[in-house]
Amino acid sequence: MADVVLRSENLHKRYDELEVLRGVTFEVDRGQVKVIIGPSGSGKSTLLRCLALLEPPDAGNVYIDSQRLTGLREKELTQHRSEVGMVFQRFNLFQNMTALDNVMCGLREVRRLPKREARDRAIEFLARVGLADKAMQYPHELSGGQQQRVAIARALVMRPKAMLFDEPTSALDVELVREVLDVMESLAREGMTMVVVTHEIRFAHDVASTVLMMDEGRIVEEAPPDEFFSAPKEERTRRFLALVE
Amino acid sequence: MLASFDTDLFWTALSSGPYWRGALTALELTIVAMASSIALGFFVALAALSPRRRFRTFAWLYNWIFRATPTLLQLYFVWYALPQISNVFAGHWFTPFMAAWLALSLNEAAYMSEIIRAGLLSVDPGQELAGRALGMTRRQILRKVIVPQAVRIVIPPTGNEFITLLKLTSLAFVISLHELLTAAQELSSATFQYTEPLTAALVYYLVIVSILMLIQARLERRFTWTSHRRRQTPAPAVPAVSHDAR
Repeated sequence: MADVVLRSENLHKRYDELEVLRGVTFEVDRGQVKVIIGPSGSGKSTLLRCLALLEPPDAGNVYIDSQRLTGLREKELTQHRSEVGMVFQRFNLFQNMTALDNVMCGLREVRRLPKREARDRAIEFLARVGLADKAMQYPHELSGGQQQRVAIARALVMRPKAMLFDEPTSALDVELVREVLDVMESLAREGMTMVVVTHEIRFAHDVASTVLMMDEGRIVEEAPPDEFFSAPKEERTRRFLALVE
Repeated sequence: MLASFDTDLFWTALSSGPYWRGALTALELTIVAMASSIALGFFVALAALSPRRRFRTFAWLYNWIFRATPTLLQLYFVWYALPQISNVFAGHWFTPFMAAWLALSLNEAAYMSEIIRAGLLSVDPGQELAGRALGMTRRQILRKVIVPQAVRIVIPPTGNEFITLLKLTSLAFVISLHELLTAAQELSSATFQYTEPLTAALVYYLVIVSILMLIQARLERRFTWTSHRRRQTPAPAVPAVSHDAR
């Protein structure tokens, strides 16, 4: 039996009139990289936020390591959130903290590690994303690519069971995209379980275990990248790929 | 025109005990009232931003009552009416200073709550989202992420409030608090001179406010998140709010 890390079951979510998710069932096995593509408004980001326990679904369930996490109280949800790492399109680094403090924050506040230990671990993870020398810089002093790498380190340092990326390169200048994708690729090689919403078709092709197409709140198609890109079964997928490639 | 200006009287006033003590009282009152109104205003601001309707209604009522009525009337009310309403305020502890502190804190908290609310709202919602994603509690996010960022926005208007409050302490003259204006008044009635005693009071206010402005400038630099501190950052433009009507 496959080792499922993260699973959603028949997720529904609506904002007033707008039905964003219409029954999404989805799972990621340990070490798998799932890439989600689809037009804007198709529900990709909402799906990620539900999986990160940031958004309560109207119906359906979310499971982490086969533990059901829907219907829990806010307090219990808070404890489970650190099991999943989330990287945002606009980085969302804490503006009042240096890169180092950003990475230390979760260790100190959530994991309650002593200062020295948190500091050592934070530096280790900053080094992993190639930014040990930027530890004392504030976010607005870093480039977008550097900020996003700090954000990845901040999520990674919590040793999450899975990492979720919500269009991590969409807000970056073209020449800064590569450095972020490189970090993500090396993460994938190390066996991190990942769900990535992106428009980077090349990345999906090279790194994904499976690629999913989402449209109008549903998963339209799911296949290994070779199959997905060379012989998409669904007409909707074909039309979308024609636009982005 | 200044021929009638009695320099000796002016210097006497400036260095007299009642002036010093009056200025000190005004400054003390301003500091304690500002501190308690920031604390109270913070909770009123949280109530105003609460998802619960009850809290929002409370915040609205609070701000409505304390901003819609004259500060002078509130001062009178606290000093004269409260002791009749409750025995608690009839004791010896309820001095003019305590009454002024209570009245000015309650009043100022209404204004501070609006400033603090604006400060909290100015922080990018993505900051809270990132904190939640890390597994931080709302209280932790507020303390470590949102409040420190809001402080920067809140400092300039709070400087304004501090100055306004300092000047409002002169109202406490009517409940026989011995502050600066009392000193000027007493000297005037003793000498039948007005120019010199009042000018001396003006000088005190000018000096105190100048010191406050220096402190504010330092605080603003302190809350600018830059790795090299010496960088000069232009202070954000502060809309001049007139509180004359208070």
